Amino acid sequence: MSKGSLPGPAGDVRSGRAQADAPGGRLAHRRWRAAPSGGTARSGSAYRLPPALPGLTWLVVVGAVVVAPWAGIGGYWTRQIVLIAIMSSVVSGLNIVFGYAGELAVGQAALYAVGAYVAGYMSVKLGVTDIFLCLAAAIAAVIVVGLISGLPGLRLGGWALAMVTFYLVLLIPDFVNLLPAQTGGAGGLAGIPNPTIFGAQLTGNGLYAVIILVTAAWFILFRNVVKSPYGDRFLVLRQSPVLMSTLGVSVFRIKLLAYVIGAIPAGIAGVFFAFYSTFISPDSFTFTLAITIFAATVIGGSRSIYGAILGAALLIVIPGEFASFNEYATVIFGGFLVLAGVLFTGGLADVARLIGRRLLPGRGNRPEAVAATMSDQALALPAEIPGRELRVESLSKSFGGLRALRDVSLSAAPGSVTAIIGPNGSGKTTLLNVICGYYAPTHGTVRLGDEVLSGRPPHSIARAGVARTFQTPIVPTGMSTQALVATGRTVLSRAGLTQTALRLPRFRKARSADESVVTGLLRALGIDHLAAVDVASLPLGTRRLTETARVLAAAPALCLFDEVASGVDGEDLARLVRVIEGMTRAGATVVLVEHNFPLVLEIADTIHVLSNGELVATGTPSEIAANPRVLQEYVGVAPGAGDDAQPE
Amino acid sequence: MTTVWSGLALGSLYALVALGYNIVLIASGVFNFAYAQLLMLGVYFTYTAEVVLKSPLVGVVVFSAALVAVVAVLEERLAIRPIADRLGSHGTLITTVGVAALINGVVVLGWGTQPLTVPLAIDNKPLTIFGGTVEASDLLLILLVPLAAIGIHFWNTRTLSGLASLAPAEDREAAMVCGINVRRVAIISFAISGVIAGAAGLLIGPQTYADPNLAQNLALLGFVAVAIGGSGHQLGGVVGGFVTGLAYSFAAQYLNATLADIFVFLGFLLVLLTRPHGILGRVAERHV
Repeated sequence: MSKGSLPGPAGDVRSGRAQADAPGGRLAHRRWRAAPSGGTARSGSAYRLPPALPGLTWLVVVGAVVVAPWAGIGGYWTRQIVLIAIMSSVVSGLNIVFGYAGELAVGQAALYAVGAYVAGYMSVKLGVTDIFLCLAAAIAAVIVVGLISGLPGLRLGGWALAMVTFYLVLLIPDFVNLLPAQTGGAGGLAGIPNPTIFGAQLTGNGLYAVIILVTAAWFILFRNVVKSPYGDRFLVLRQSPVLMSTLGVSVFRIKLLAYVIGAIPAGIAGVFFAFYSTFISPDSFTFTLAITIFAATVIGGSRSIYGAILGAALLIVIPGEFASFNEYATVIFGGFLVLAGVLFTGGLADVARLIGRRLLPGRGNRPEAVAATMSDQALALPAEIPGRELRVESLSKSFGGLRALRDVSLSAAPGSVTAIIGPNGSGKTTLLNVICGYYAPTHGTVRLGDEVLSGRPPHSIARAGVARTFQTPIVPTGMSTQALVATGRTVLSRAGLTQTALRLPRFRKARSADESVVTGLLRALGIDHLAAVDVASLPLGTRRLTETARVLAAAPALCLFDEVASGVDGEDLARLVRVIEGMTRAGATVVLVEHNFPLVLEIADTIHVLSNGELVATGTPSEIAANPRVLQEYVGVAPGAGDDAQPE
Repeated sequence: MTTVWSGLALGSLYALVALGYNIVLIASGVFNFAYAQLLMLGVYFTYTAEVVLKSPLVGVVVFSAALVAVVAVLEERLAIRPIADRLGSHGTLITTVGVAALINGVVVLGWGTQPLTVPLAIDNKPLTIFGGTVEASDLLLILLVPLAAIGIHFWNTRTLSGLASLAPAEDREAAMVCGINVRRVAIISFAISGVIAGAAGLLIGPQTYADPNLAQNLALLGFVAVAIGGSGHQLGGVVGGFVTGLAYSFAAQYLNATLADIFVFLGFLLVLLTRPHGILGRVAERHV
């Protein structure tokens, strides 16, 4: 192979299939629409950077709501709007935790109570009424409570977190009774004074305006976090913790992050509730409230931003309009949760999106038909990747009595393609899983360069420069192809949460770098016209190309491809081969686990053959092709007839 | 010793909830959040049969067990099965919480918010055993719950049908391919857990009263029992239930009732932190 040659135009594609794919050749039929040369113009729509501040509509709406009391909407509706704003904040927190990160935290009500009691205690007992001071203290308090309650529950996730937080809600009266001097005990804390802002008292409409403006500001931050790589990470987490760790992110830490971010608005809402109602007691924070919050999230659409406001509004307004509603509230919410869980999971936000798509056919997730005018010269691959040698030393892995790997030693050199082949069940994927840290080796070590990988958790191994595809591609729902590929760059991420929430320059810079790399990769793989398409709607072959792009997005030192070519054919395969070879030329260490024997013979520099967990042969393609044991065990007797395309 | 007995009595309640959680969890991989509500419903049905209908003892048990089983089966049919084929457990996270809220609401509408006294069905004279007093119905519960758990555990591990019922939770599709009717397994598991919940009403009702807040406490402490014992492990659930009950009872004796709740909560957090898979649970390696 072209080791040592300069990474240049990929003119030296050896594969016959690849040559058939010359520009203007078979690609011609894909030219649905003339596109500008280099055309990034349309393909970036789903990944286009949303502005730091929402548009004019949002400003007008917030402005109108703020001035509404002065326009004479009356005390009842002023109060309702405040309650909606407070509830929306609480619900938005659950949207982050449940809708995006997929962890059910019933305890929003408890964190809400913490915020309320912090404000009550500070203003009544300490005489501190400055609203920003109270907000800061409440946020600090909910973060602490969030960490304490989140740490144990999040290790298991799922029901463990739901129960820990549910427990927290039921314990509110106990905690309140524990400190009667500070909290007023079961009787409640009365006489909460008006808050102050820069020394001036906030009363009536003034307090109203502050609550609306702070809530609006929170929603901007919420939107900025959700519509960013952080939001994408939460979506990946929800779908597949395994993929998350492959991207170099500790699953536990990202869960905790989502949970703590979700706690913040609950704390803010609690402060506002305390000041607005001037009285708080454990009766305000009950299991019914927890269920109401949950129902509001589900009604509005848990994976949405403004659905939180919609859900909160419905659950505030409807009970207010029907006097007998409260009696039936639990039954109705319960029945609704069952219905919603069974019939539609997207809530009203999904309905709105659907209507929006019908009314505005130009928007939405329709495939952008950008012509694939890619030429070989357009291969947007990094020019130089510091590849590192993979060394697997006498590795064994047993599952109970099953010895999946027995004393396997092999290596893969930088700047070359190393293939691992073998019949089904020979231990190929197990080997990859051990390298990536999903399985701890029973014996032996894995090294990358001079770093020992074995024994480290998967996300740490990913951060060392290991990226992989999966035998069954993992694609989260609700993400564009482009966004999924961009998650591959998580290990390179330099923009922190504050940078992201405030859309500071470092975030913008990172985002545009991501965008150009992703666009280039998609073009190189010939799937740039699918950039804005929902990645979960793609067929298997295209999913594989997407995963390949995701792996390459971070230019990792070691790329592991698990049957990346199965389900991919024709020109797509040729492009895939060209991209893999491009990465190799740039210096990456490439390991292929592959069933497609002719393909392996074509592109591999070294081939290792596994059988029953043992390494039975190692050599160049021509040596392996001539090895009688390999022919007998793996390929069958006749060379070339062994295209074992069966999925494992 | 009386503290020990009262701890064991409490523990048998929690073990009972854990038993119901585990039956369904083992058979269909679903965590039925509403199981404590089913137990509560059993207490209410027992109350209705005993006090309102003045039914004989056998009638009470059959009435309550049958009705709760019907509710459990309805739950499976309407709230679990339609989303059984969907990926991930987020669906049942929503629907079982929904069922729980629904039952809670129905109970309040049907029987009111005031706790109702469920009369004793058996002669309940306090016994003095090992220097502590324990009521006969408590003793019965302390003995019966572990027996039921052991019975189910051995059925699950020693018989073909029991082993087959484990398969759907492990791998739904593979179980189907093996000729196991996963739907039937799921529905039977819900029905059995419902029968147990309904029948148990007779024994637990006199202790707990028919109280709409009953389910919340049972749900939590039953979950604590499962977390301590390791999810999906019947014997672990019983051990976890008794450990929780004893911890609670001793904390209430030597601290006070408020602190006892918090004490058990902190213990629960500690178990999750240090032994996330429970005392008897196994750590499964991740699948890719």
